[in-house]
Amino acid sequence: MRYALTLLIALTALFSASLTGCKDKGNDAGGGGADEIRVGVFLSLSGANADFGKTTKNGIDLAVEEINEAGGINGKKLVIIAKDTRSKPEEAQTVAKQLASQDKVAVAIGSVESGQSIKAAPVFQEAGIPMVSPSSTNPDVTKQGDRIFRVCYLDDFQGQACAAFAYKDLGFRKAALIYAQDDDYSKGLAQYFREAFKGMGGSIVEEAPFQGDVSEFKDQVSKIAAAGPDVIFAPVYYAKIGLIARDFRKQGVTVPLVGGDGWESPQLIQLAGETLEGSYFGYHYDPDDQDAKVQGYLKAYSAKFGSDPNSLSALGYDAVYAVKLAIELGGGSSADQITEGLRKIKDFKGVTGTFSIDENRNAKKSITMLKIGGSNLSKVKVIKPEDLK
Amino acid sequence: MVPVASVDFTSQLLQYFANGVAKGSTYALMAVGYTLVYGVLQLINFAHAEVYMLGSHFAYYQAKWGGYLPDEPGAKPESVPILLVGAFIAIAMLACAAVGMLIERVAYRPLRNAGRLAPLITAIGVSLFLQYGGQVVFGTEPKLFPTFVETEVFEIGSVKIPNTNLLIVVTTFVLMLGLTLFVSKTRPGAAMRACSHDMRTAKLMGINVNATISLTFAIGSALAAVAGVLVAMDQPAITPLMGVRIGLKAFVAAVVGGIGSIPGAALGGLVLGVSESVVGGLWDTNYAEAVAFVFLIVVLLLKPSGLLGKATREKV
Repeated sequence: MRYALTLLIALTALFSASLTGCKDKGNDAGGGGADEIRVGVFLSLSGANADFGKTTKNGIDLAVEEINEAGGINGKKLVIIAKDTRSKPEEAQTVAKQLASQDKVAVAIGSVESGQSIKAAPVFQEAGIPMVSPSSTNPDVTKQGDRIFRVCYLDDFQGQACAAFAYKDLGFRKAALIYAQDDDYSKGLAQYFREAFKGMGGSIVEEAPFQGDVSEFKDQVSKIAAAGPDVIFAPVYYAKIGLIARDFRKQGVTVPLVGGDGWESPQLIQLAGETLEGSYFGYHYDPDDQDAKVQGYLKAYSAKFGSDPNSLSALGYDAVYAVKLAIELGGGSSADQITEGLRKIKDFKGVTGTFSIDENRNAKKSITMLKIGGSNLSKVKVIKPEDLK
Repeated sequence: MVPVASVDFTSQLLQYFANGVAKGSTYALMAVGYTLVYGVLQLINFAHAEVYMLGSHFAYYQAKWGGYLPDEPGAKPESVPILLVGAFIAIAMLACAAVGMLIERVAYRPLRNAGRLAPLITAIGVSLFLQYGGQVVFGTEPKLFPTFVETEVFEIGSVKIPNTNLLIVVTTFVLMLGLTLFVSKTRPGAAMRACSHDMRTAKLMGINVNATISLTFAIGSALAAVAGVLVAMDQPAITPLMGVRIGLKAFVAAVVGGIGSIPGAALGGLVLGVSESVVGGLWDTNYAEAVAFVFLIVVLLLKPSGLLGKATREKV
């Protein structure tokens, strides 16, 4: 027994020594050796929102593979160091610290959930590492520091767009809200919808927030049912909307639900059964776009992963190409050069649309409203930022 | 697309009451497990919530391996025939009973004479082990629970009660009644009561104490399995951490009802469920739990032994 223990300790020591040895090699300030650029990725690869991380990671992997096969950027290959945030904001902060101090990445890409991005951003800001969020829509994300960027639209726009869609296109006047009080994304989006919908002349007849990891929404549903709304805005993530929709239909509430980009998941319809039939949600790009870039991406993705891409994977894909462009514009692959390059991005043509990085390090983009019918999603309307002026 | 008609206050209140009874029944079914074990061993079996989680997972995997879950995402799960549902639940109950007895054998029995703190710590240990072990074995993503019954909604006046909720209430009532009869009328039930009163004397009277304690864990765990499946039928997404919240609430329900008392567990569960729903419905869903728990604190301040607890039964 004692021998076994000694052996174990010796092995552990040897193993950790070899690990540190490896790490030292790539430890120069540029975030990578002479022939590589280290890109940190932090996403929910497991846990309640695992689909967010998995689909985004697919998009990132596809872009990195394309870039490296074409010879890299100025001869340097992109190396992805991916960390799992397990769908938890605190965990995002922990892995951000690892990426910044141990892995010495030159740039970070992540996360989908705004709550995670808000927690991780100060870590990268302090370490002087630029962070690009592919799909965190809460306005507070890029307010965390001048090295924090994003390539997606913001929730003030998304909330307004959903409100305008419900009010003008669907013709509803009485809305009810159900959202997660303790989630930055959900609470923020509900707030922007509320303001915009009231501003147009509609009324919010009931609000039923919830807190914590609940899976049962009977009382929220009864409360909303009693108020008799003609549309329900539910800015929650995909794992919850299925349960929420089921509870609504169980109490005979058949009005359509409207949600944001958080509904997006390959499992959405399976989790909700038929209960989301006739409901709508926001999407980051228009898959019917006949543009060669979009169609090329759709083909390459299906060929590599054997499944249809969604807009989160498209944003992951665009985030990598935005980093590539930033390296070219900034004149190098150090953290500072990439930050400078990201600030200079103008009229970047991505799969999810053409956009520029503005002075607040955000992107202005269109939202595509999709309708759920049977097992299909169909495009109903594309809303551009200028439409809401 | 038809807007729901606004409903009057009384029907609203009744709706919240119905919601609360359904919720409270699951708390009650779980609370019995805490109360049975506490009655016999004065031990809070924190791993009970994880047995509940295992119950729903055992049923899930039976249905999955039976081919009742579609492989490709987007496809609608097939409805499971009712006889098979019964079989799945029965097997899940047996499996959980076995797990419960195993937990007692491994984590509590060796510490039976080690005071009350040591087994409490192992209970927390087993609970955490199963939570995180569950994440390793089952994965952390929520799993869609197969369709055991097609949803139907009954309407009584303007109050809407889904069949899954009705099933929860009826099953809980029947099981609680059966359990009360078992404990009060049968010989093993008498043995359980004897152990609960005085374990040493019970032993001297020729009662097999170890077997009786195993039986207590088996019954509590089987009931937790039923609760796990019933809740999963109503809220068809299961995760390895699904027991944490309901476990805490059921434990509170057991204490409020008077820990050690079976009718107390039922009452405590219902009181907690109904007060949550009514507070949430009439005031704010955000703070429903906070207010419900304040209410429970008041109950305990006024009656420290719980609603149906006997103050005299406290042993030193």
